[in-house]
Amino acid sequence: MRVPYGWLMDYLEAEITATELAHALTMGGLEVEEVQQWTSEDGTASDQVLLTKVTANRGDLLSMIGVARHAAAVLGTSWKLPDIPWNLVAEPVSGQTLVSDGRVTIELADPAGCPRYSGLLMQGLTMRPSPQWLAHRLEAAGMRPLSHVIDCTNYVMLELGQPLHAFDYDRLRDGHIIVRRAMAGERMETLDRQERNLTAEDLLITDPAGPIALAGVMGGSSTEVGPHTTRVLMESAHFDPTSIRKTSLRLGLTSEASYRFERHVDPNGTLRAIARVTDLILATCGGEVVGKALDACAEDFSPRRILLRPRRCNAVLGTDLSADEMARCLRAIDCQVTPCPEGLQVEVPRLRWDIEREVDLIEEIIIVHGYDKLPLTVPGRLAQSGVLTRRQKQVRLVGEVLRQCGLNETLSFSVFGPGDLDRLGLPQEAPERNMLALGNPMIETQTHMRTTLLPAMLEACETNVRQRVTDVALYEINKVFLPRPAEPLPDEPLRVAGVLMGSMATSDWKSTLDRGQVAGGPQVPDFYTVKGIVQQVCDALGVTGTSFGRAHHPAFHPGRCANLLLAGQPIGVLGEATAEVQQRYDLPARVYLFELELEPLLAAACEYKPYRQLPRFPALLRDLAFVCPDDAAHDAAALETLILQSGGEYLRDVAVFDLFVNAERLGAGMKNLAYRLTFRADDRTLTDDEVDALIERIKDTVTSKTQARFRDY
Amino acid sequence: MLDEIALMQTEAEAAIAAADSEAALEELRVKYLGRNGLVRGQFQKLGSLPKEDRPAVGAALNQLAKGLEERLEARRAELAAADADRALLADAIDITLPGRSHRVGKRHPLLATLDEMVAIFLGLGFRVVEGPEVEDYYHSFTALNYPEYHPAMDEQMTFYCGPDVLLRSQTSTVQIRAMEHMEPPVRIVVPGRCYRRDTVDATHCHTFYQLEGLLVDEGVTFADLKGTLEIFAREMFGERCHVRFRPDFFPFTEPSAEVALSCTLCEGGGCRVCSNTGYLEVGGAGEVDPNVLAGVGYDTDKYTGFAFGVGVERFTMLRHGIDDIRLFYSGDMRFLGQF
Repeated sequence: MRVPYGWLMDYLEAEITATELAHALTMGGLEVEEVQQWTSEDGTASDQVLLTKVTANRGDLLSMIGVARHAAAVLGTSWKLPDIPWNLVAEPVSGQTLVSDGRVTIELADPAGCPRYSGLLMQGLTMRPSPQWLAHRLEAAGMRPLSHVIDCTNYVMLELGQPLHAFDYDRLRDGHIIVRRAMAGERMETLDRQERNLTAEDLLITDPAGPIALAGVMGGSSTEVGPHTTRVLMESAHFDPTSIRKTSLRLGLTSEASYRFERHVDPNGTLRAIARVTDLILATCGGEVVGKALDACAEDFSPRRILLRPRRCNAVLGTDLSADEMARCLRAIDCQVTPCPEGLQVEVPRLRWDIEREVDLIEEIIIVHGYDKLPLTVPGRLAQSGVLTRRQKQVRLVGEVLRQCGLNETLSFSVFGPGDLDRLGLPQEAPERNMLALGNPMIETQTHMRTTLLPAMLEACETNVRQRVTDVALYEINKVFLPRPAEPLPDEPLRVAGVLMGSMATSDWKSTLDRGQVAGGPQVPDFYTVKGIVQQVCDALGVTGTSFGRAHHPAFHPGRCANLLLAGQPIGVLGEATAEVQQRYDLPARVYLFELELEPLLAAACEYKPYRQLPRFPALLRDLAFVCPDDAAHDAAALETLILQSGGEYLRDVAVFDLFVNAERLGAGMKNLAYRLTFRADDRTLTDDEVDALIERIKDTVTSKTQARFRDY
Repeated sequence: MLDEIALMQTEAEAAIAAADSEAALEELRVKYLGRNGLVRGQFQKLGSLPKEDRPAVGAALNQLAKGLEERLEARRAELAAADADRALLADAIDITLPGRSHRVGKRHPLLATLDEMVAIFLGLGFRVVEGPEVEDYYHSFTALNYPEYHPAMDEQMTFYCGPDVLLRSQTSTVQIRAMEHMEPPVRIVVPGRCYRRDTVDATHCHTFYQLEGLLVDEGVTFADLKGTLEIFAREMFGERCHVRFRPDFFPFTEPSAEVALSCTLCEGGGCRVCSNTGYLEVGGAGEVDPNVLAGVGYDTDKYTGFAFGVGVERFTMLRHGIDDIRLFYSGDMRFLGQF
């Protein structure tokens, strides 16, 4: 809200500059975002304007006197109201839902929505523009001056916080105001010339002919005050905040009035405001009041009584304040405080609707006392140590391993769109298409919660390539959101995904040193790089029982794609992206991807790995190579299995060290696979003869059971 | 005779010192010490000397032979060392060429900061709890004491998936989830991702990270909250950093405070980073509202608690001097590789 300093100081009794005041208000809970220098459009007036940011619970701060009252409380000074001609209003009486003086009748047909409605009739008015001082104040507060009657309603709303509405009495049927809910199918035209369809939830001001205003939100055009209006019925009412908010939200229509009513207006301020506005109108427009203000009031708005226990107050705050000190703080916000045997009996004026409970009083006490005077202590009891859970540590470990493998950690958005799945090449029936949709997305490419991290990986590659960065190695550990049947909330399992493209070295240059040895050169990833990384993750977690199986996934090259299997179940996919995917993301080189379900891996992880005895006797190493068809029956795992089966108990390790394919030298469709075999006994050193015999057995087995030929070096 | 020996010594030593190769040294050795060498020649002359002179001259000749032998050896070693040096020098490489290594990946700066924040609270006995990012209305609003149709909800700028399903706009939702499964004392922090319908620009993003804290026990005061956050501030930004509390409003805390840290760049004097206020707003905090505690079935006479929520982006941007929040989600290797 814009609070002109000069205007505010009419009500605040303090010697203080605008900047000092801004600081005091901010520290007291009314944030002043800025103090602006303001000059009127005609250049004849200037002021400083405090831009305040009012929290949703403090509707009472949305007026000049509200700010003055608050400032006085935090500064320890006093504030005052403007002159109110109280003779224009009668003593308020509560419990009346129908009041009338013959000319004006007010009927509260929905006392829950409108518990109070005050009205006053003026006649003999001449419509004129506002005097300059008033127009300037409105301008400084950010409102455009219109005609004097309207200006006065705005002025008093800004001054006292009570929204007001002026009806042209002569366009009102029978001077009869009925406040009620709309009936189904009812319509009205509001002041902004919009035809509004109403529902039974909307609160209306009506006359016997129909709606004349959307209560607390906007007036209707049928009873609008015009240049020839001479008689005005002024409305000063109190509405239920929830009702106003519902209508305002539904119609997408907010006004200065609805903004205030939503945040609660002082129910005891209607008569004060009507007296004040009438005084201001008559001073410029002439005319006179007809009778006195009428006040229909269905509810008892006497102060709320709350007990404050000083001991509890100090126990919540951690302070050592005396009961007297607490009473002083509460009196500063206009509460009546009476000591009683249990503590302090506090009467809270209704304008502070937000103070309902003891704890609310406690907050007011520390606000007036000063948050800066709060002691600094630490909570006393410590019943546990702060440690990460096993799962939390393991998730961190996965990230650590991937970083050690050379992948940078990245983060991407949890929202994506079906277009991302199209780009990935997923068919319409893919399970990833079962997504949770956002009801109010911001942009059309981010409409759903993601079900896979792969698009984000490829997009990161794309972004880097656009920046001419073609060496990409990234991973992300994050949630995917998988809808569950008959459950309102989705499953949110953790996934880990990664992408590799280009070189993985810090620098790619190659050198030829002495004796012609070559060092360095690009470290280009291939399928086996990404597989190795996945293996490292499983190994770090101590997961046993994993294997790799050939797999089909629309985003991956059909011959270069595998599933990570845990106990035979697929829990992840890895491999080389298809040429189409590479093209769609405009990537210059082959891309290797993986995405693993982290939850099953974490569940299978072992916390502490058992130690395996180091060997005490030396091992014998033998190299063995086979030339065989390059097909599934002769894949590395098949040969390895045969070797292991026939190698006997002393064969401890079988490791591939070379794969060679050359049609000219080996024949088409043939390959050469070379293994290094490690033999060792636990209790002695093996002899060459023993191992040679084992090698012969392995050669015989492999060559007899497959089409592999032994290859001599 | 002795003069002759001295002269020979001088000449030979000079020749050895001047020799610049193994071959030249060998030549000198033959010339002086060889079977027909000059020193041997002198020995042969011994017989022609008077008997009384022979021991002295003989001793001098022996001295000369031994000395020359040593000189030759020393010079030979010198020349060998020089050769080796030359050979090494010839093998010298350009050490200014770039180093080569398998690249080691980096932790994302946002998460690295979050780790550090979490570590401080682990040290204070807090445990880490996580919760769902897609939440229901109850845990997002009702249980957090938001009255229905309250304007405070406007500030949340919530993404909805349905009338009852939404993306959490603050980690406070996990307070409820945690308390539903625990009895006091509760001493937890909740790091996590939140979402608000905020248009993305250099300083705003619809996705952001928060660290929530919750402590519920007997006698937990508002002063304890400030003291705890003061420790956090000092650990994060150094001994001179302190916490400022200002009244604020959150439906789930009462009293509530906006938390600001003194700007350690200008030490309160005012600078561009703190918009000349001397303070940086970092989050919200307060004593847990009794309605919230009662909602999860805690005895509100017995237990009080505090809660706080602080942003992670701002700390991260501040520490590294990052000026564009969008970089965090760019996947840009040039950015991610820096930290």
